[in-house]
Amino acid sequence: MSVVSRSSNSLVSRSTLSLVSRSTVTKAALGPLAAAVLLVVLNTGAIPPYQAYSVGLAAIYTILVLSVNLLAGWAGIWSIAHPAFFALGAYFAAYGSTHGWSLELVLLGATGCAAAFGAFLGAAGARFSMLYVALLTLAFTMVSLEVMGQWTGVTGGDQGIPMEELHSALGLGTLASAGTQAQYLAVGAAGIALAVAAVARPSALRMRLVAAKSHPMAARSIGIAPEAQSALAFAVSAVFAALAGVLLALVVGFVSPDPFSLALAIALISACVLGGAGTLLGAVVGGAYLTWAPTVAESAGVAQPILQGVVLIAALLFLPGGVVLFLGRTARRLLRRPSARPATPVEPPEESPQRVPAPAATADELLRLEEIAVTFGGLKALEGASLSVRAGETLAIIGPNGAGKTTLLNVLSGLVGGGRVAGSAHYEGKSLLKSRATARRRLGIGRTFQHAETFPELTVLENVLCTRRRITAHDRDRAAELLDRFGLAHVADRYPADLPFGLHKRLDLARALAEEPGLLILDEPFGGLDATERALLTRQIVRQQEHGTAVVIIDHVLDDLFAVAHRVVAFDFGRPIGEGGPGEILDDPRVRSSYLGQGGTRDELPARHGTESPAVHLDAVDHAYGGVTALREVGLTVARGSVLGVVGANGAGKSTLGRILHGTLPPTRGRRKAADDLRTALVPEGRALFKTLSLRENLEVAAYAAGIRGAELRARLAETTQWLPPRLRERMGMPAAGLSGGEQQVLAIARALMARPDLLIVDEPALGLSPAMVDEVYARIGRLAREGMTIVLLEQSLGRAASACHEVVVLHEGAIAVRGVPADPTFLARAEQAYFDGQDDAAVPVPQG
Amino acid sequence: MDQFLLILVSGLASGAVYGLMGLGLVIIYRATDVVNFALASLATVGLYAALALNERGLPLLLAAMAAIVTTAAVGLVAREAVIRPLAQGELLSALVMTMGVSLIAESVISTVWDDQPRLFPSLVEGSVSLGSAAIPAQSLLTIAVAAVAMALVAYLFGRTSIGTAMRAVAESADTARILGLGSQRIARIAWALGLGLAALAAFLYAPRAGLVPTVLSAPLFRAFAGIFLGGLTSMYGAVIGGLTVGVLDNLAAGYVSAGYRDTFVFSFTILVLLIRPQGLFGVRTFQRV
Repeated sequence: MSVVSRSSNSLVSRSTLSLVSRSTVTKAALGPLAAAVLLVVLNTGAIPPYQAYSVGLAAIYTILVLSVNLLAGWAGIWSIAHPAFFALGAYFAAYGSTHGWSLELVLLGATGCAAAFGAFLGAAGARFSMLYVALLTLAFTMVSLEVMGQWTGVTGGDQGIPMEELHSALGLGTLASAGTQAQYLAVGAAGIALAVAAVARPSALRMRLVAAKSHPMAARSIGIAPEAQSALAFAVSAVFAALAGVLLALVVGFVSPDPFSLALAIALISACVLGGAGTLLGAVVGGAYLTWAPTVAESAGVAQPILQGVVLIAALLFLPGGVVLFLGRTARRLLRRPSARPATPVEPPEESPQRVPAPAATADELLRLEEIAVTFGGLKALEGASLSVRAGETLAIIGPNGAGKTTLLNVLSGLVGGGRVAGSAHYEGKSLLKSRATARRRLGIGRTFQHAETFPELTVLENVLCTRRRITAHDRDRAAELLDRFGLAHVADRYPADLPFGLHKRLDLARALAEEPGLLILDEPFGGLDATERALLTRQIVRQQEHGTAVVIIDHVLDDLFAVAHRVVAFDFGRPIGEGGPGEILDDPRVRSSYLGQGGTRDELPARHGTESPAVHLDAVDHAYGGVTALREVGLTVARGSVLGVVGANGAGKSTLGRILHGTLPPTRGRRKAADDLRTALVPEGRALFKTLSLRENLEVAAYAAGIRGAELRARLAETTQWLPPRLRERMGMPAAGLSGGEQQVLAIARALMARPDLLIVDEPALGLSPAMVDEVYARIGRLAREGMTIVLLEQSLGRAASACHEVVVLHEGAIAVRGVPADPTFLARAEQAYFDGQDDAAVPVPQG
Repeated sequence: MDQFLLILVSGLASGAVYGLMGLGLVIIYRATDVVNFALASLATVGLYAALALNERGLPLLLAAMAAIVTTAAVGLVAREAVIRPLAQGELLSALVMTMGVSLIAESVISTVWDDQPRLFPSLVEGSVSLGSAAIPAQSLLTIAVAAVAMALVAYLFGRTSIGTAMRAVAESADTARILGLGSQRIARIAWALGLGLAALAAFLYAPRAGLVPTVLSAPLFRAFAGIFLGGLTSMYGAVIGGLTVGVLDNLAAGYVSAGYRDTFVFSFTILVLLIRPQGLFGVRTFQRV
């Protein structure tokens, strides 16, 4: 395939593209070519008849393994039903041949039935997890085995039925069974099947299958319906299996239930695991393995199942991905081909982004939400959300963690999952809530995801291309231009896992823009990016604004957000609380306090002398998840008997710091120093109670985990129960799921106390609680502090932390921006500043006023 | 009526066997995320060992203990050798791995012993007459022993600290780790317990079915149907699902056609799952971005 390109700026990707397409033709020709060579060799008579028969069988098993293998590798469906489809084809052929059916009728009947059953299994299976699909397909094979054994009028029962010759109704000749002609036919068919698969490999069909398999939700967001994909995939795979069955009847000349047992299903799975799921060559290896494993086992003097089991286990342990992948990697290492490190990444040209002015107030309204409410079970995630977006406008939505921002985006893209949505939403005048998630892409809505949900098994280029149903040269061109624009051209044929997080997020955005949406939805696009990447992203957003694209964007990185937004809406507790321009929204006291919180009354904390010994000390600690930096150069000392507050917006690195202080998360760099006998306990964010366990059992498990047994356990249980408020004490036998959020928080703290910790770390204790409950939880934490407990409090709200702690540090993007004591009169102003932009202006003398 | 009573009792006896095996599967699955396909063949290894010991003069009751211990021990060795090296959460690899273990175990049995059918002795003989129906004593024993075993399991999980800890790990391994609960210890206990229950089921089933290397594969598949029916993660569901499958299976054999019992059982299970994907006792989970 030639690529005609009008643009001249994508040399790298264009050469990659033509390489890919040329190699596709070569690969597609390989199968038939190998088959032709094999046929010539067979024709010379150099292979003895029995071996020729085996070659025919191997060809059939290659087709069968191919059908199972590609279904597993591309669609993610591991089928145990294929022996049944194999049998379907074989019995169709044998029965038809003895009842005067023509060749065409047999082929049409067998493939038609297989496709119908396959589509049913695929569609039903898409609703379920992998295990349910296993049961569903297992059931299919079990039932087919019974039918084969019992429906003696058709199948001949255990005796089986003979296969006669098949005549073509169109006068194409006659197929004799059990002879060289059948063997040749099988070999030829295998060659063609491999060619078909090789052509399908670089097609949109495979990309969309793989996309739907690896990330159903992201697939929906680009218009791919996983159910339809898996129904189609299963139907095609079943057709191939049935054709293999017809060939089996022809080659063997006789059909009985023996070959179609569950043992075959397991053998097929072994063959796929051994060859490598999703690889064509793997199917050939698998087919050969199935054919010759009995001979090999016999000559090695072991029972065949033992050989099969050992091969299966060894393949899983030592060759994950299969023998073909392993050999390919080894070969590359031996040949020392320079590993395809990306050359110098081509960054998009530097240009300082211009602000695009907001559209005129008269601009058309593009999106209108009215009184949207979302409930998950009994939990209200969103209520009374009304807002509108004009064409070309960029709307930013801000709010603390749990305010309902992501839920709102999911309403727009139709990915609310199990939640119930009420209210109305209109996009370009059309009702949005009634259209399915997969249809919204066509309406012109594109979105990105918080964690850049790309398709890991597709290359960067394919991630963008799979948005199209059929890929034309023009599409490839446009995709190449798009990648070029995002500075991704140099990694077009790499996989997302090889990319640093920044490029990963760029790819997510490129995919959302592949079909030039009218409304672009961005879920925390700035999160986790460094300054350079953030500047690049800002330029991309500005570019879209210049094109007139409307943008809805949520994020916690406010300065970057405000740099691109025309208008800002603030949310808290699932409803809008304020609206304004980016420069003024934080002046709204309600918005400000939703972030910073109101300082409670400052309880008396035990006095400190400043000479207390340290409980834990962190020395220049860095932490990164994958390539994403969560903490940078954090140095911190927690003194015994003190209450330390760690404050920061969502994503600032608080929970990571908590886990490192707790000792359960080893830092990537730097050291944690703590006394050997220091007992620490962590109350995780969101409580993390065992919901199905009773209150008492939640406490019991914590003590058991701390190695406490018997009478001591009962004593501690009684003691901690006394610590609980009366309304919890009366319900010790009830499941924890029945508690309110505040009660859960108190119980979670009590659970941590069961281990009698010296250091207690509490992560966001106020999250999702009503103000009254927050006060009660904080009163309890204060009492623990007065009793001498060392406490680290991870808080989103600066005000709350300031009222409850001896000392506060403010985290901004993983680094400590400010530290100080709330008693210091200048501290709060400094901390507030640092909370939003990470700047500490303490170096500048603050005028006293 | 008498025939119905007979079918019902034998259905409950089969169901008790499926329920015990299903309970074993669910206990292992909840604690370790492994669907243990090798459960049946490992229990069969235990049975052959018990038979060998019994033939050398060990009383049958002690031989039953030996079957349970052997099965649990072989299973633990297999887990340490081939399942633990796999990465966490590799559901499919673990399932396929246990298929491999199962192939090897069955083959070892036919090599060490042979695959000729053998008789397996029963603790009780004869039948109990109830009205005009003669109910096999073995069926009643099966139901009684299974009921006691299930009650013990319910006690273990409901009333002891270790049982509570196992339920906690099953609900959230992450939270359990934060509390400092070692999941490997819990996993080993779950494997031993699950396999022990399977060996007990096998011991109750073998006198009726006779002993061949694949004696337990049919009950294993019906136990699978039972746990899916029950919701995959629910222990009550496993027992009730197993009993349902057992009774259905025997009703189909008695009143419909002996040749189509699997068709009947599996069609019923799939139909129920199409209507209620989470099974009878499973919990529907919400999906979120």
